[in-house]
Amino acid sequence: MKFTFSVSPNLRQKQSTKRMMLELTIALLIVYAFSLFYYFKEFGSEYAIQALLMMATALGVTFVTEIAWALFKKENMKKYLASSFGWITAIILVLMCPVDTQLYALGMATFFAIFVGRILFGGFGQNIFNPAAVGFAIIFASFAGSKVADVATGATPISTMATGYNWLTLNDTMISTLLDKFDGLWNLFLGWYPGGLGETSTLLLLVLGAILAIRKVIDWRVPLIYLGSIFVLSSALALFSGMSNWLWYPIFHVCTGGVAFGAVFMLSDPVTSPATKQGKCVFALGAGIITVLIRVLANAPEGCMYSILIMNMLTPAIDQAFSGKQRALIKKSWISLSVLSLLGLGSMYLANMAITPAEPKKPEKPKTEMIAMGDDYVNSLSAKLDGSVKNADGSTTYQITAEGFAAKEGPNMPDYGHPFEPNQFEITIAADNKTIVSVNVTAMNDTEYFGDKILNAKYLDQFKGKDISTLNEVEKNDVVSGATFSVKSSMRALLEVKKALGY
Amino acid sequence: MSLLLGSMRHHIPGYKELTSKKAILEVNAGPQVFIPMFASHSTQFEILVQEGDHVKVGTKIAVCKDRMEIPIYSSVSGTVKGVQKIMHMSLKPLDHVVIENDGKMERELPFQPLDYQTATREELIAFMKEAGIIGQGGAGFPTYVKYQSAKDIKKLIIDAAECEPYITADHIAMENHLDEILVGILAMRKMAQAEEAVIAIKKTHTEMIKKVEAAVANINGVRVLAVPDVYPIGWERALVRYVMKKDYQKLPSEAGAIVNNVSTAYAFANALLHGEPIITALMTVSGNAVKEPVNVHCPVGVPASELIEACGGYTCEDVKLIAAGAMMGKTIVNDKFVAERQMNAITVLATESYDSVACMRCGQCCDVCPVGLQPVRIVQSAKAKNQAMMEKLHAMDCIECGLCAYICPSRLDVTENVRKAKRQLAMAKK
Ligand code: SF4
Ligand code: SF4
Repeated sequence: MKFTFSVSPNLRQKQSTKRMMLELTIALLIVYAFSLFYYFKEFGSEYAIQALLMMATALGVTFVTEIAWALFKKENMKKYLASSFGWITAIILVLMCPVDTQLYALGMATFFAIFVGRILFGGFGQNIFNPAAVGFAIIFASFAGSKVADVATGATPISTMATGYNWLTLNDTMISTLLDKFDGLWNLFLGWYPGGLGETSTLLLLVLGAILAIRKVIDWRVPLIYLGSIFVLSSALALFSGMSNWLWYPIFHVCTGGVAFGAVFMLSDPVTSPATKQGKCVFALGAGIITVLIRVLANAPEGCMYSILIMNMLTPAIDQAFSGKQRALIKKSWISLSVLSLLGLGSMYLANMAITPAEPKKPEKPKTEMIAMGDDYVNSLSAKLDGSVKNADGSTTYQITAEGFAAKEGPNMPDYGHPFEPNQFEITIAADNKTIVSVNVTAMNDTEYFGDKILNAKYLDQFKGKDISTLNEVEKNDVVSGATFSVKSSMRALLEVKKALGY
Repeated sequence: MSLLLGSMRHHIPGYKELTSKKAILEVNAGPQVFIPMFASHSTQFEILVQEGDHVKVGTKIAVCKDRMEIPIYSSVSGTVKGVQKIMHMSLKPLDHVVIENDGKMERELPFQPLDYQTATREELIAFMKEAGIIGQGGAGFPTYVKYQSAKDIKKLIIDAAECEPYITADHIAMENHLDEILVGILAMRKMAQAEEAVIAIKKTHTEMIKKVEAAVANINGVRVLAVPDVYPIGWERALVRYVMKKDYQKLPSEAGAIVNNVSTAYAFANALLHGEPIITALMTVSGNAVKEPVNVHCPVGVPASELIEACGGYTCEDVKLIAAGAMMGKTIVNDKFVAERQMNAITVLATESYDSVACMRCGQCCDVCPVGLQPVRIVQSAKAKNQAMMEKLHAMDCIECGLCAYICPSRLDVTENVRKAKRQLAMAKK
C-alpha cells in the first residue's frame, strides 16, 4: 500500500489552462474560417490561398522558433511545445493582418512576437505585453510599405474614416457615401468587407466572445467595458459635435478597426491584464478611452492595438494600486472608474473642439492643358491623307491615317497583343471648308485603356464648330489624362486636313 | 454577479450520495485504542492515569492545562498501557495514551446529566466545559469559550451546511438523532441568550430541509435557513455574512452571532441527556478509493486502518489518505492515525498527478478566495521575498480553505504557496 503525500486541497476543478487554450484556439479558427470563406467568395481562390499561406508562415515560424529554443534550453520538447501555447499568438497575429500582407513581413513579425514578445520575457505567463500586438506593431513600424499592391482590398472602413473623414463629419451625404462604400452599417456589423483577416465580423466576434465568457475562458467584464466605453465615448463625441442622426457613429466605432477582435481575443488575455476583477475593469475602461483618443486625435486607425500595448504596460501599476482585500477596495475601484469616465468624457469634449469635421470637398476644376498644334512631338508623327468624300450637304469627310503611340514607339514596346499600327481618323469639314463638323476615330491602335480614352465624346466634341484654319491648340481635358500621345495623334490628323485645305 | 468582485466562493461537486443514504456502520474498538493528547492546537496535557491502571468508558484520563481547561475521557474499558507517539491528524507525531481494550465496555458517568430547562446559563456553561465539548466542525476549539463572553447575541447559527465534499457526518447525525440535536440547540440558544437559532442547511438538500422544518415547526425561535450549495459557506465568516448581512473584525459576536456546528450540538446533547462526554466519533469514510464508503460510528482512538478495513479496504494501491475533508484535510502517509473527537471524515482518494503549467495570471484564484485575497499576487511577492507587499496583501488572513488551488486552471499548488508566504511572514516576525 502506498500513501502518497500531497498538500491540501486534494481536489481540482475540471477546467484546465490547457483546455481553455484549446477552446480559445477553436474560437480563433472559427474566425479564420469565416475569413477564408469571405476571401474565397469575394475575391477568389488566389486570396484564400494567400490567407492559407499566411497562416502556414506564422505557425511555421512559431514552431521553428519554439523548437529551436527548446533544443537550446534542453527542454522536454513535447511538454514545452504543448504548454507554451505559442500557436495562439501566431493565429491572433495572422487574424490581425490584412490579406495582402507580405509573407516575409508576417514571418518577421511572428518571430518578434514569439521570441521577443514571449520567450525573452520568460515564456507563457511571464510576458508583459500582448505578444501578438508586439508583432503587429513591428509590421507597422518597419514594414509599412510591404503590402502586395492590391486595388481590390485597399480601403478599409477604418482607413477611409482616417484618411478621408478626419474621424468626424456632419455632412449627411458624406455619411451615406461612407456607409454605402461598405454596404451600410449592417454589413459593417456582419463583417463582409476587407480588413484584418479576423477583425471584420463584429457579429461573429461578439457571439464567440459570449460563448467564451460563458465557458469562463475569458472574463466578460473586459470586452463589455471596453466596447461599451468606446460606444459611449464616441456617442458623446457625436453629440458634442452636434451631429443629428448620430447613432451610426458609435456603431461605426465599435464595428471597425478590430476593436471587437481586440476586446475578445487580446485585451482579455489574462497574462497581460490585471489579476482582480477591479483591476480588469479599470484596465478595460482605460483601453477604451485610449482607443478612441488615438483614433480621433492622432487620426490613427490602429488605436485598438496601441491601447492594448499601453494598458499592458500599466497593468503592474493597476495591480499595485489595487493591493489588499478586495472587499475593502470596492470604494476605491468605483472612484477610479468614475474619475476615468469623467476624464474620458472630458477629453471627448476637448477633442470635439480640436477636430474640424470633414466637409465635402468642392468639385475640383477639371484639369485641362492646352497643346499647341506646333508641338514637336505632333510634328514628328507621320500622317497621310487616305482620301476624301464629298457629302450631300456640301461638307467633305477626310480619311487620315496618323501615327500614334503604338506606331511610333511600338517596336520598342513589349508585346501588348495587338499590331503596332497607326490610328485612323475621319474628319468632316463643312461646305465653307473651315468649320469642323466632326472628328471621329475609326481605328484606334494605341495602348488599351490609355489611347482609347480619346474616343470619349467629351474630348472629340470640343472640335465641333471650330474653325480649322485658325485651330492653333487643342484642349487636353481630364477625360484623356494619360492619353497624351493619342491626343497628339489626333492633332496630327487635324494638321493633315489643315494642310490639305491649304491653311 | 458583481462587477467588481468575483464570486468569493464556488460550487464544488459534493459526492454526498456515496454515503448520505446508507445506515451508520458501528465499528467496535480493536484490541487497543490510542487516545490523542491534543486539544485545540495544544499538546500540554496532564495525564491522570498510569500504566497498568484500569479505566472505564468515561474515565477522565487527562486534562489540557494550556490556556483553557479541556478534559479527555477514555473511550473503552481496559488497562492503560502507557504513552506512545503516533502521527496525529494534525500531521504532527503526538503523545497518545494507549489503552488495552477488555471488550466489556464498562461505563462510568464522569458527570451527571443536566436538564437544560431548569439549569441556569452559568451552570450550562460550566457543564459544557466539564464535558469537554469541542467544536465538531474540524477545528476542535472548546465550545464553552464562545458562550462565556457572549453578549448581545441575536442569533445562534447552527452550521449544518457541511460544505466539504464527500462528508455527510452532519447529515447522517441529523437523519438519526434530530431530537437530541434539537435539545443541544435549545440549550445552546439559552446559553447564548439569542433570540433565534438558525439552522443553515444547503438549498440542495431539500428532503433534509423539510424534515428539520417539520421538527422545529412547533418550537418558537428555531428555524431552518437554506444556504447556497457553495464552498466554503460553512466558514464562520461566510455564514455570518450570509445570515446577518454583516462583517465583523475578530469574533462573530461583534455581528451578534454565535456559530456552532450541528454535530457539536449533538455532542452537547449527549452530555446533557446521557452524561456522556465525547468518546465516540461519527464520521464519513468516503472517497473514490475506498470500497464501501459509509458513515462510521466508533470509539475515539480507533486507528484509521481498522476503520478502512471495516469499509472494505482500499480500491487501489496508491492513495491519498486524508484526515478530514478533501479540501482542508491533511494527507497522512500511514493509516495509523486514529479517530479523533473532532474528526468528521476520512477521505481516501486515488492518487492522480496533475499536469501543471505556468500561472497565466487569470485571476480565478482572486475571484474565488472567500477572504477576498489575491493569492496569485501573494505567491509572486513571496517568490520575490517582498514582505511589505505580502503584508499589504494580507497574506496572514488566508484561512487555507484550498479554494484557490482547487480553482487554478494551471493546476498549481496555490494554497500551499500562500502557506509558504505565511510562513515567511511568521519567520520574519520572530
Ligand atoms: S488561478 Fe492559477 S493560473 Fe490563475 S492566477 Fe491564480 S495561480 Fe495563476
Ligand atoms: S486558501 Fe487562502 S488564499 Fe486560497 S482561497 Fe482560501 S483563503 Fe484565499
